[in-house]
Amino acid sequence: MKVHQIMTKDLTSMEKDALVRGLIFTLDNAGMSNMPIVDEEGKLIGFISEKDLIKAALPGYFEMLHSTSFIPDMNQLVKKLAQIADDPIEKYMQHNVVCVEEDDDDLQAADLIIRKDLKSLPVIDKDGRLVGVVKRIDLLRHLL
Amino acid sequence: MIITVTPNPAIDKMYWVDRLKMGRVVREEFLTRAIRSDTSAGGKGINISIFLARMGVENVAMGFVGGHTGHVVVRDLREEGVTTNFVWVNGETRTNVTVLERERAHIPILIDEEGSPVSQEEISYFLRRYKRMLKRATWVVLAGSLPPKVDADLYRVLAEMATEAGAKVVVSARGNALTHALRAVPYLVKPDTREHLSMEGAPLTTRSKIIAAGRRIIETGVRILVVSHEVTGDIVITQDTIWEIKARVKTTQFKNLVGADDVLLGGILYMMDKGEDLKEALRFGMAAGILSAESDKKICQNMEKIEEEMAHISLERI
Repeated sequence: MKVHQIMTKDLTSMEKDALVRGLIFTLDNAGMSNMPIVDEEGKLIGFISEKDLIKAALPGYFEMLHSTSFIPDMNQLVKKLAQIADDPIEKYMQHNVVCVEEDDDDLQAADLIIRKDLKSLPVIDKDGRLVGVVKRIDLLRHLL
Repeated sequence: MIITVTPNPAIDKMYWVDRLKMGRVVREEFLTRAIRSDTSAGGKGINISIFLARMGVENVAMGFVGGHTGHVVVRDLREEGVTTNFVWVNGETRTNVTVLERERAHIPILIDEEGSPVSQEEISYFLRRYKRMLKRATWVVLAGSLPPKVDADLYRVLAEMATEAGAKVVVSARGNALTHALRAVPYLVKPDTREHLSMEGAPLTTRSKIIAAGRRIIETGVRILVVSHEVTGDIVITQDTIWEIKARVKTTQFKNLVGADDVLLGGILYMMDKGEDLKEALRFGMAAGILSAESDKKICQNMEKIEEEMAHISLERI
């Protein structure tokens, strides 16, 4: 099966100058855990996840502890998040995006999602424009 | 690619009842029990998107959604195969209720919510996304009411942007939103006459009044104007011709009028997107709309039945 046959056809995305505050609002309301970043042509240029935001607010914790349950004081996270809320997301996004093309095989998407421990994977067309995402649940739904 | 914009989408909640009981006191005997119910994503543009997707046409639905009901709208569209690109906003996407009484389904009881307001910031965010999408668009459908507090000029802005990007614009709206949109000279206009039989203040109550008002719109450069005249008949005005499309069917056969008007427009668009002749597009659209009205389901999808229904549709030059 091809990726375009299993992907979620959703183009929810942001441009790199969007603010962290807006990103958190959309992630929260749309029930997403990460966001593709596109340019004015709709081409995929970056990716940002909840994890990237927590890393930005509390640099070092992930490397040291691999768990936020060890953070001694949640106020630190609150304060740091408030400090970065009006920063552009470009500052914290991943520039080297792991993605697949719409005509790639579903196995390739599955391999990337499992191997890279991703919750979702952006899908692009031949021109590099975002056309959807493959989520873990998309794979499970189509395997059943 | 076809883009539909539904700024004020909805959940269409439908109840089928034997008879709606009304009482002045709270008693069990006044309880109306639904024989069945249905919940689906709604709004004029969304209905068109679903119809097109069922006909195998790739399209993108845009607009504003929020809250739990917003998730239902997006989920329904994705299940139908429509690509979604909505801006998430504070507040809850509205719910519109339709009650269909047995033997009176052709006269439904409709309760529509106003919807949640959309801020200027959210509009700006939408405009950026919309501009991006226009680079892939051949048709843009602007349909339905605007959310509260949104400038009535929004459809004009969106229509001008689309035309500048090289897309043909279809507008299905009413009131101020329609009046403003007309300034951008869309390609095809279908006034929403469900609440008020008027367009730009001119009454659309008789055939001659529809033609007089329609001619004024066509003189501005609009290419096609479709006006619902009767439940089974529309008047179409173009720069060269005026037609009356008629369906030879009984309105008592109708089971569900919700969305039928949108399916009509979706059918016309489906055919025009394929490069078909306008006359065939109009007959196809009317047949699809009638078939939807005759079906319990909100939006019909059976190509074979639409083609059969076309045998009952006539197109007469006025």
